Amino acid sequence: MYQAIVDFHSANPHLVKVLIAGTLVSLVCGVIGCFIVLRRMAFLGDALSHAMLAGVVVGYLVMKLVTGQEAHALAMLLGSIVAALITVVMIGFISRVSRIKEDSAIGIMYTGVFAVGGLLASLFADKIHIDLVHFVTGNVLVVRDSDLWMMAWVAVIVISVVLLFFRHLQLVSFDPVMAASLGIPVLLFDYVLTTCTALVVVSGVTIVGVILVVGLLVIPASTAYLLCDRLSRMLVVSALLGVSSFLLGYWFSEAINVAPGSAVVLAGCVQFLIVLVIAPRYGLIADWLRRRQAVPQQVVEDILGSLLRANEPNVHVGSVAKYVVGGHSRIRRALATLDRQGLLRLSGDTISLTPAGEKEGQRLMRAHRLWETYLEHVGTPADELHDRAHQLEHVHDEATLDYLDDKLGHPLRDPHGAEIPQDVVHVVPGAVISAAQLRQGTHATVEEAGPAAAARGLAPGMHIIAGPRVADDTLWTFELPSGQRVELDHHTTDEITVRLADKPDDNPADQPRSASS
Amino acid sequence: MITRNANGATSTAGSGNGAREIAIAVEHLTVSYGPTPALLDVNLQIPAGLLVGVIGPNGSGKSTLIKAILGFVRADFGEVKLFGEPAEKAKGRVAYVPQRGSVDWDFPITVQEVALMGRYGQRRWWQDRTHADYAAADAALEMVRMSEFRHRQIGQLSGGQQQRVFMARAMAQGADILLLDEPFAGVDAATERAILDVLERTRAAGKTLVVVHHDLATAAEYFDRIVLLKQRLFAFGPPERVLKPELLAEVYEGKLRAFMDLAE
Repeated sequence: MYQAIVDFHSANPHLVKVLIAGTLVSLVCGVIGCFIVLRRMAFLGDALSHAMLAGVVVGYLVMKLVTGQEAHALAMLLGSIVAALITVVMIGFISRVSRIKEDSAIGIMYTGVFAVGGLLASLFADKIHIDLVHFVTGNVLVVRDSDLWMMAWVAVIVISVVLLFFRHLQLVSFDPVMAASLGIPVLLFDYVLTTCTALVVVSGVTIVGVILVVGLLVIPASTAYLLCDRLSRMLVVSALLGVSSFLLGYWFSEAINVAPGSAVVLAGCVQFLIVLVIAPRYGLIADWLRRRQAVPQQVVEDILGSLLRANEPNVHVGSVAKYVVGGHSRIRRALATLDRQGLLRLSGDTISLTPAGEKEGQRLMRAHRLWETYLEHVGTPADELHDRAHQLEHVHDEATLDYLDDKLGHPLRDPHGAEIPQDVVHVVPGAVISAAQLRQGTHATVEEAGPAAAARGLAPGMHIIAGPRVADDTLWTFELPSGQRVELDHHTTDEITVRLADKPDDNPADQPRSASS
Repeated sequence: MITRNANGATSTAGSGNGAREIAIAVEHLTVSYGPTPALLDVNLQIPAGLLVGVIGPNGSGKSTLIKAILGFVRADFGEVKLFGEPAEKAKGRVAYVPQRGSVDWDFPITVQEVALMGRYGQRRWWQDRTHADYAAADAALEMVRMSEFRHRQIGQLSGGQQQRVFMARAMAQGADILLLDEPFAGVDAATERAILDVLERTRAAGKTLVVVHHDLATAAEYFDRIVLLKQRLFAFGPPERVLKPELLAEVYEGKLRAFMDLAE
């Protein structure tokens, strides 16, 4: 194996260098890119890469003037990092002290610092030999040994930082307030990440140039983001995707003889688009399937409503289809879902409601009829009642129904004369409810009685039986243990709380079940 | 004018506490983000073992107070002491449950990993997490009944479940003081009940809880003490002494009518 590598190296010394450089750079770009993506700093990577030019030129000039060395790699690296940090500090400063927002501040500073670099480079064109075109577009093919060393050091530093301080970086990125409360220096870690980004950008520029380096940072990380639910895995996947996009892009550029930088970033993009479509949880296909599987609430309600109205134990699928909007397959899917949820039993072509399904159906029918009563109450024309209530019945959380019920004086019948089903959520054995919710024939024990009710002879602990409503359903009647009957208005009845008997057998009131629509 | 000055406000709280230890002492705290202070000369002594609600209109500095106690925002003046020590020395003794809206729910992190974050303060940076950390995280998740979701990504949970995950993190941290920013915002009634239940159990374990709360109608029922805040401390004490119409009218100004209707 080793011998094979050595042989390969001696046969293609340059190719090995290119592969090592590209792998190192795309790997660290993938790792740091995760933090860039999660912290929404993509534009920052762009800013840093542009600021680099000034740093490179200054680093070059200083070493040339001080020691006479040409293109001193370490000096240019340090220059780049310093320029990058100055840019970051200036961006923060401008957006803090002025009304300029951060995105504009980034635009101002990175073009400004880039321009300084361009100016210096042309001013000292006779002293420095930087290929500006190379700088802008990058070229992995001319990678030098000094570049390779720089990339290796960047990789070692960045990966060590991420491994050693993984928890800190995770916490600072996810919840800086908690990080601060644990005594983690949040600002310091912000700068650590920025410095790592600057280092990675510097090594990335060599390969793909200033313009495309952001792609190397952001694309593999975003691809991994679509695939992973843990940061630790995202880092690994992103690094692997970075390397694979480099290898694919490089192979492609060799095959058709184009600029490797563009090919590498394009390969990353293709990887991203494929994952965007096929990612198991966050992909487009998964999303489409989920939406296809999801049964619209309206279909659920229509099915339960039609089953309840049919009022027989076994209903044929065909008779449900008449009342439900949607194609046959859609109804089938909805029925299967409801079967899974335990609301009905589907065997072949016959459907039967389970007790849970019946309860949910009662609730929905109650919602519809309460809404109809409400609409009539607020003066909606009679011919619009049903349709409007059909729209509104989909608003049926418990608080809404309680509000309507109470506001309308706990009506027993809707405007069409059909019985409004009793509240099956609150009115259950053993529950404590308002006496106004009691229907005729229900037994209950008084828990508390307001002063007006007490004056009429009701007292805590007393066993009462609800009688019929009288005076147009506006007065409640109760039979007291003494056999006496009292008539109470809505307000007085609302002030009485009662406890229902624990066992349903003690409560002879049958649950109203109406077959009419 | 009612308990306007700091001494007046704190003395209301002092009565009836006996000799409870002071968990959080806020002294002359002023915090600003610009020319208008977010908090101005706030003085507050919160005894240990109580469930304390912080109420006040929008933008009254409720979250800022929490963040100042956590040491996340720098005070222009004044200081925060936790159990008699400067806040910097008590790092890790305070746990924080963020507002739902301020969390990135798409962050690639699972329920269990969030709970494990509670243990970060227990380990030096070079130490790996141990079985004890996992055990503490799992116990905390068990307490808020979230164990079965431990491998879910946090975005794949309902609102109430998300809230409970962060409660678990605070539990795992083993902190003596819990600061919660609007835990009841945007959850349904059943979830609100469940969260309150966890808060009450935490208090029973001897912890001090400070909860930013927006619903005046339930404040009296939920909390032992109430902090009424609008930049300055307007009152601190038992609900019946703080939730007085004249005091609320001063703090809430025009927005009070809605509350009065609610209270009816």
